[in-house]
Amino acid sequence: MFSLLSSLAGNKRLLIDFVKRDLKARYVGSSMGFFWSVIFPIVNLFVFMFVFRLLLNARWGDDAGPKETALIMLAGILVWAGFAETLSRSTNCLIENANLIQKVVFPSEILPVYLTTSSVVNMLIGLPIVVLGCWLFGITGPGMSIVMVPVLLVLQMLFTIGLGYFLTTLNLFLRDTYHLVGVGVQVWMFATPIFYPAEMVRNARIMLPDWLSFLSNMPLRVDKLTGEEVPLIAGEGGDLGLGWMLDINPMHWLIDAWREVLIFGRWPDVSSLTLLAVVSIAIFAIGATFFRSQQAKFPDLL
Amino acid sequence: MTKEASKNTELMAIHARDLGKVYRIQDKPIHRLLDALKIGGPRGREFWALKGVYLDIPKGSTVGIIGENGAGKSTLLKLISGVSKPTTGDVQVQGRVTSLIELGAGFHPEFSGRENIGLACSILGMSPEEIDELTPHIIEFSELGDFIDRPVKTYSSGMYVRLGFAVATCVNPDVLLVDEALSVGDEHFRGKCLNRLNDFRDSGGTTVFVSHDIGSVKTMCQHVILIDSGEVIEQGAPERVADEYLKRVKARGNERQMSMLHRGSAEYPRWGSGEMEVEEVLLLGGEGQPGLAFETGEHFIVRLRYRAHKDCNQPVFGLGLYRSDGTYVNGSNHQWRHEPIDLGEVKAGETGEVDMAMGALPLLEGQYYLTTFLYDHSKAAPTAIDHREHVVTFQVLDPSHHQHGILRLPTAWAVRRNIPGEEEVRGHESGS
Repeated sequence: MFSLLSSLAGNKRLLIDFVKRDLKARYVGSSMGFFWSVIFPIVNLFVFMFVFRLLLNARWGDDAGPKETALIMLAGILVWAGFAETLSRSTNCLIENANLIQKVVFPSEILPVYLTTSSVVNMLIGLPIVVLGCWLFGITGPGMSIVMVPVLLVLQMLFTIGLGYFLTTLNLFLRDTYHLVGVGVQVWMFATPIFYPAEMVRNARIMLPDWLSFLSNMPLRVDKLTGEEVPLIAGEGGDLGLGWMLDINPMHWLIDAWREVLIFGRWPDVSSLTLLAVVSIAIFAIGATFFRSQQAKFPDLL
Repeated sequence: MTKEASKNTELMAIHARDLGKVYRIQDKPIHRLLDALKIGGPRGREFWALKGVYLDIPKGSTVGIIGENGAGKSTLLKLISGVSKPTTGDVQVQGRVTSLIELGAGFHPEFSGRENIGLACSILGMSPEEIDELTPHIIEFSELGDFIDRPVKTYSSGMYVRLGFAVATCVNPDVLLVDEALSVGDEHFRGKCLNRLNDFRDSGGTTVFVSHDIGSVKTMCQHVILIDSGEVIEQGAPERVADEYLKRVKARGNERQMSMLHRGSAEYPRWGSGEMEVEEVLLLGGEGQPGLAFETGEHFIVRLRYRAHKDCNQPVFGLGLYRSDGTYVNGSNHQWRHEPIDLGEVKAGETGEVDMAMGALPLLEGQYYLTTFLYDHSKAAPTAIDHREHVVTFQVLDPSHHQHGILRLPTAWAVRRNIPGEEEVRGHESGS
């Protein structure tokens, strides 16, 4: 993993070239250019607002007005889009660049890194809109905690690159990975509180069918929100809470932290941020190690 | 001069020791993953693409690697260029390697030629200053003119290759790997490329030239390595190795014939009334040996074996000769000649042989096939008794490579020079 990091540092120039090329490629030939970075999430926002707010009548707590809800959703979409897009592109990056890897001595470790960097830059073009919106609509907006932005960026990139390394290597062995990632990202998106508040998930209860009732005899855990001891998965009689879905979802912690910083001007929750840091570094270490261990074989595997 | 100097330093441009590459062929993709994670023993079959290769290629030399398709040439190039890692042994290369295998690899279609030059050079590990310095040379050599600032996707395939070649050779490599890339591009640019390769050699660069075209290897290289089934069979002077290669190709061709005969003619159409049948078609070379690969100028016989199932009147055997692309080269039979052979009546049960001989096979290098005609000429318009399309495919090799095209023609050349001051007319006439 450390040889990989030093090789990345050595190929800094190439990495920058690739990021530039990618950012340019997004908009070369289009007259609107970089505005697309902004237009796309805004259109997305209107679609989801239409569905969730108007049709399903979802509300962001009692005190959030429609404008605030829109901004909260927008922040979530921007962060999620940066992550999801990179994930599917990273998974395919070795196959897409097969001609480079098979014909030139090429540092393939820069591929997931440049894809992630490019999409993070893209995200950073969109996020100021959220801030502008806060000021425009008289919502709190960022405060001192804005200093956390670099930390969030680094953690997000570590997490994304780590997953990218892992999935793209796996994809060389099992080409189904790419399709699985496509489906997985979709499911993951709706499991993450982007268009609905996290409380809705915490409050949701479903009844388990009889054949799954063994799940109710699980040990207890401490609920993060209330601090009470609750059943690990399901309560007495098969009453299943969904809060655990949030407690195992690093993307929820990340998006939540971004919202705290950018919209509410609060400091992100320390415990979930620490957890995010641990998970991100672990994922990066695992992904990078797996990638590195197979890298010599890439030209033969393609 | 440069060549001698660099030889004296006794530095090898490429030095390989016991080089081997094994590919493992697994039945299921999941087995590859489990093997990679070292869970359970290795699964699947081993395939040695290259085995026990030793190379010492001195700086400044031009070395040819020849071998048939699948012999391991490309694998060897990949190992030399460092793209692929050897399973056994190691290879050391002095200096920067670029290869003409990768013409245009990594060009981005949306970007202009100029931007792609920058990116390609940066992949080859050059600094921005070096790139700025080289870009004008690359643009000039590629002859792209105004196109250099247009997206690469608007380029013709020829322009694409020109840009690729320009990048690969302008970056001042120490070792250049050429993999039959020169077959593309127009005549003018190909000439320019060859000049560039010659300049490169004269300036002390090392070239490794991979081909299955012995002609070009012979003319370009001082040292030739013959690879077959992943092993170095022979290496040394071009003439000697080329002969060995020809021998092998011929032997291989003959092996193929055995399997062809058993295949029957189901693949290609065959029609006729069926009173008689052409049962077998044999191609005989200079020593009377049956084969499927021949050399230009060799004594060549096509022998048809026939059998009559019913009585038949005035059957005539004929042969059509085609090049692999379908070009009709020649057609003849034993009736339409100065001295026709008239078979008259043929009784049921008769068998025999018909020979069509050529003193010196005039075909030039390439692949050809034969169609046999057996027609009833007793009627005004001959009708088919047994017409067999595409009966046999054979290969012609031309070690001399003196002429190009389909046929060797007895051309005569003469040069008459008028040199001011010298009144005499010098010349030389010859028939080829």
